[in-house]
Amino acid sequence: MKPVFDHEDLRNKLKLKHLQTKKDFSDKYHDANQFLISKGIDLSKIREHSTKLISAGALAGSLALSSPNLSLALLPPPHEVIEKAKSNLPPVSRAVSLREALHKILPEQVRPLSETEEKYLEKIISELTGIPVRATLEGEHLNQTYGRIGAEQHLRRYPGDTLAAQKPETTDYGGEDPEEILKEGIAPGLGAWGYFAPSQEALTPDLEETERWYAVVQTLYLPDWNTRFRYLRDWYKYRKVIIVNTDNGKAVVAAIADSGPAAWTGKHFGGSPEVMDYLGGPRYKKGPVILFFVDDAENKIPLGPVSYNDV
Amino acid sequence: MSKLFYDHLLDLSELEALIKKNVKDQEARGEIYRLIDEIVHHRVVGCILERLPGEHHKEFIDHVATRAHDETILDFIRERVSDDVEEFIKHEIYLVGREILEMFDARLQRDDLDKPRA
Repeated sequence: MKPVFDHEDLRNKLKLKHLQTKKDFSDKYHDANQFLISKGIDLSKIREHSTKLISAGALAGSLALSSPNLSLALLPPPHEVIEKAKSNLPPVSRAVSLREALHKILPEQVRPLSETEEKYLEKIISELTGIPVRATLEGEHLNQTYGRIGAEQHLRRYPGDTLAAQKPETTDYGGEDPEEILKEGIAPGLGAWGYFAPSQEALTPDLEETERWYAVVQTLYLPDWNTRFRYLRDWYKYRKVIIVNTDNGKAVVAAIADSGPAAWTGKHFGGSPEVMDYLGGPRYKKGPVILFFVDDAENKIPLGPVSYNDV
Repeated sequence: MSKLFYDHLLDLSELEALIKKNVKDQEARGEIYRLIDEIVHHRVVGCILERLPGEHHKEFIDHVATRAHDETILDFIRERVSDDVEEFIKHEIYLVGREILEMFDARLQRDDLDKPRA
């Protein structure tokens, strides 16, 4: 018989463990805990505290210094990088040029980028892909724009949707080997915004594309997620983003359709089976990427792989 | 939320998969994620204080308070502790993962929670 899982039970057990862990910490390291309190720091909220410090820009200098690669001042200005890349033929080499430019700019370890680094990258990615991208769009900014992406499962598009129903047609992406796209399975729960459509009949081709090319970002950790919930929930729903694999320069435009992953997974973003397959191939499960918003107020930029040949 | 100095040592993806599989309510899942995150903070900082000589505790806490994102905090610890800092932090995270896994019904447990990597 299938076991019945009670998430309230898990939540209550975790609450108790949480309280016990905090008590053990303050008992065992009383002086250190008091020192933290005297500095106004609650260890439980250390992530939020770190976000505030970084957002305030007070750490821009130390972030730049922690990069082994640079100082941005030592790099050529973006237009020189772009001109050099554009002079390379055939166009496919733009992916290589982008990868090389990213390697010069990005630190070895993923971390939040400074505003200067993001502006530099915006120019290069926009020019080389032909897609207007922004780290900050309409005042909104993710906590991290350079991080690790992990493989996600398919999402249920409507009540009663199945994995088999998501088998790609021969003309769809992955149609030449559907099993490769289906092997990740379908998530048991819904995405953060629920079903894509109320019924199979209501599922439009656009919504099919949205599920096929969906991204996951950590909206749950945004510092103002709770205070501006209604606005942010709508703003982020199906928001277009560009995801660039910094190891190979491959890029895809995706739509945000779920929230996660948990901070303690070591990942910052997620990608649908199609997104991950395009970015890194069938065995790609995790890797570093840049994720920026796509500035597409007129909804003209299609979801899916970025074709450098069209630039 | 953003970067902490030990984030690159975190990898409890299998625990997340188990929670996603069993906790379908978004709000409940968010709270469970938060509780686990906060447990991990205390356990990681605790395991560092456990090994760090007492005279360095204040300086360490000061680093955490002023630049929690900075991985060079690990260098500060490395210079003052004989144990391999990354290994003992990974091990502590692994233990937290196992302890939380045990909270699930035994029939729901998976034994493929990531092992600490050498």
